[in-house]
Amino acid sequence: MAKVEIEFTPSKESPEVAILTFSGELDSGSIAQIGRSFDLMLEGNYLFAVADMARVTLISSAALGELMGCRTRLLERGGDLVFAGLGIGIREKLTAMDANKVFKFFSDVRSAMNAYNWEYHDRSEGLELSFPSLLKFVPPVRQFASRIARQKGYGNRDSFRIETIVDEICNNAVEHGVEADGGDIDLNMKIDRKKIEIKVSNTSDPDKIDSLKEISKSLFVPQMLTEESKRGRGLALVKMLSNDFEIEYSDIGTCVHVTKLREE
Amino acid sequence: MESQIELQYEDVQGKSNAKMVRFIGDLDATNVETVIEKTFNLLNEGFVNIVADFEKLRYVNSTGLGILLHFSKSAKEKGGSFKIANVNENVYEIIEIIGATSLLEIYDELDEAVESLG
Repeated sequence: MAKVEIEFTPSKESPEVAILTFSGELDSGSIAQIGRSFDLMLEGNYLFAVADMARVTLISSAALGELMGCRTRLLERGGDLVFAGLGIGIREKLTAMDANKVFKFFSDVRSAMNAYNWEYHDRSEGLELSFPSLLKFVPPVRQFASRIARQKGYGNRDSFRIETIVDEICNNAVEHGVEADGGDIDLNMKIDRKKIEIKVSNTSDPDKIDSLKEISKSLFVPQMLTEESKRGRGLALVKMLSNDFEIEYSDIGTCVHVTKLREE
Repeated sequence: MESQIELQYEDVQGKSNAKMVRFIGDLDATNVETVIEKTFNLLNEGFVNIVADFEKLRYVNSTGLGILLHFSKSAKEKGGSFKIANVNENVYEIIEIIGATSLLEIYDELDEAVESLG
């Protein structure tokens, strides 16, 4: 009876990707079986493989060597092989063998597919959150947005600018919004490899919408900054930091849209 | 929960009317009131020359910048000055974009800012 089972499944969301689900022990006796699986993969013109290792109990150095060889075959054709779902013990052993410098490890197949789609299809990922219209909630929200940008590979400068943009728009939303029930601020962030789109909407105090419109108009007229200019520069700063900036008004509130292109 | 900002004070040798103030953390809309109160206490105690060390100021937004301009103006009105040194490049970019570099006295090094007190 085979000590290892390998199941081949084309990915539903990305048909060019094969999911190879391994079960059991990958040792020297499974090398030929591993090789055959990759032969079949290449015959089917699959260049990218996610090896789902969640049900694997052992990976010997010989089996690891075979997997490295299979990965090389994929790399030569412009593809890749990544590991998903490794158990903690196996992951530690592979890391001790420096295999983490060769293979990308993902916690599960879904994370591996997200990374693949991010890397090769420029697919975006989104974030939506709502928070009460109070100043004290803005710093953790802006820092969270900045951390997401950094985690997605954006540089220090871009991440700092994202933090500033989110901070200024949210502060503005608090200043012009209402605190009462239902007065939450909604932040929507869409991020891909090339840009971040930010949308902040809030329920505005009808009496304050006119003053906000005045501030908005002033953004398009060059103004001299003076030592008395204590307020009202936030949206001007956002406009200068972003590549696209728009404010929508309605009877119930405002919505600020910003697009920031990746520069680093 | 306001952002963390800490102000540390140090005497400036040979300048009885000057203080060096280290800004540590983030300066934003949640803590400007605290910073205004502490800085105006210094000005009102006669420390009309303030040298602000921004080496550990990680973040500033437009509200924070607004009060820096206010400090500069108030110090001048009292016959003193508000000087800034050691600004990190992210913070400097914000100051620059908002057009405040010509309104604030900014120095690369703390020593330069102190020496400029004369």
